[in-house]
Amino acid sequence: MRVGLLLLGAVVIQLSGLGQLRVLGGHFDLTPLVVGGVAYYAGSVPGAATGFAAGFLLDLLAAQTMGASSLVLCAIGYGVGRFRELRDPSHGLLPIPVGAAAAVGWVLAFGAVSFMLDVGTASVSGLVFREMVVTVVLDTLIALPLFGLVRRVIRPSLAVDPLERNRRRQSPRESGPLGLRGMEV
Amino acid sequence: MFDRKTIRRRRAALVAFVAASMVLITMSFSSGGPLGAIQRGAQDVVAPIETGANRALKPVRDLFGWLGDTFDAKDDNEQLRDEVAGLRKELATRQTARRDADQLRGLVGLRRTDGFPGATNPVAARVIARSPTVWYSSIRVDKGRSDGIRPDQPVIAAGGLAGKVTQVSGGSAQVTLITDSSSAVSAQVVPNGANGIIKPEVGKPDDLLLDFVQKGRRVRRGGTVVTSGFASDEVKSIFPRGIPVGRVSRVDLDEVELYQRVHLKPFADLRRIDFVQVLTKRPGARAGVPSP
Repeated sequence: MRVGLLLLGAVVIQLSGLGQLRVLGGHFDLTPLVVGGVAYYAGSVPGAATGFAAGFLLDLLAAQTMGASSLVLCAIGYGVGRFRELRDPSHGLLPIPVGAAAAVGWVLAFGAVSFMLDVGTASVSGLVFREMVVTVVLDTLIALPLFGLVRRVIRPSLAVDPLERNRRRQSPRESGPLGLRGMEV
Repeated sequence: MFDRKTIRRRRAALVAFVAASMVLITMSFSSGGPLGAIQRGAQDVVAPIETGANRALKPVRDLFGWLGDTFDAKDDNEQLRDEVAGLRKELATRQTARRDADQLRGLVGLRRTDGFPGATNPVAARVIARSPTVWYSSIRVDKGRSDGIRPDQPVIAAGGLAGKVTQVSGGSAQVTLITDSSSAVSAQVVPNGANGIIKPEVGKPDDLLLDFVQKGRRVRRGGTVVTSGFASDEVKSIFPRGIPVGRVSRVDLDEVELYQRVHLKPFADLRRIDFVQVLTKRPGARAGVPSP
């Protein structure tokens, strides 16, 4: 339920506000970041499911070819989730490169898929690439706070919060050799 | 780290989502499917939310729009400045070319006029310098001795007589205009044939004076003045007969004076000459202008 509302809010804000907000020729794109955030904290299968649902909503409300966004976003969610599962990352700034990677994957893969499905044989101008680069940069800038927001929203639904688990794992290091606080040598 | 069951379930989930996406894509492209109706229905449902979100985010959008417009305005400003500079340059080039074309057309047209001396072997030259004084006395052209130009050869511009060559070097020549104070050109008014000497009104390049015109031959305003090509046994005019010089603009009839003073406006615009032709060969006598 929480994830569903998060996705709906993200897609509506994306379509009605952020999508029209042009910054240096590009725009903020919340969708891959929200999917990446859910996958980063919840894992690959929830990530893929979130990606599919986000893509479905996006295609539904934006009157695009149904399934195109779902295909790309479920792959992004799965990829980010697998990264988290395999590497078990703990660095606080990791959402920045993860968000950037999700944004790159989104603009490239969705661009390619929609080009194949809808655009056809038209030539691609340099402006498209400029817009892609600017969008990735803007998404990278907002990745850290947005991942934090996603974590706050989905935290009650998480079986295991990876950051919390890492913190618990690190806590003995802060204690003394006997494992008791205040007994440091 | 993960057991086989988990791995299998994870892969199956991914395959299921990808397959569902492919099915959706396929359904989107099949005509008459239910997806279009679902899309329209969903858009109707979410439209009020979108409208609200759109209004709520308008200030943010306006702020970013203003920032973006400011950046764009800077770029646009530079681009437009470059464009204006380019267009100014192009305009200047075109205006110059048009003026050159007009003058060259005038030169060609002048040589085709009735009565203009033939076989003069004209050499076209571009004006490369003007006398820095305000008296419109001389110009320098880019053709010289190597092009067959010699001193005392007549020079014409678009419209009519311009002057004569006074100094020649290898690649350039000095032309003294008929507005120079030392200039004197024997001329006659057509059609009545009254003869006189054209002298400049110094400082007035638009007003020449045909002096020494006898009162017996009444000159009227609007008459054309051409070179007379005066020649006697001892003296010979350097200007061949029949080159148009100007049009009579005013006639002063003074009872005390022995001669009429005829003012004429030169055909050639001596203030704005860019091209001239030097008549390098003296023609033989030619009919076309009534004899006095």
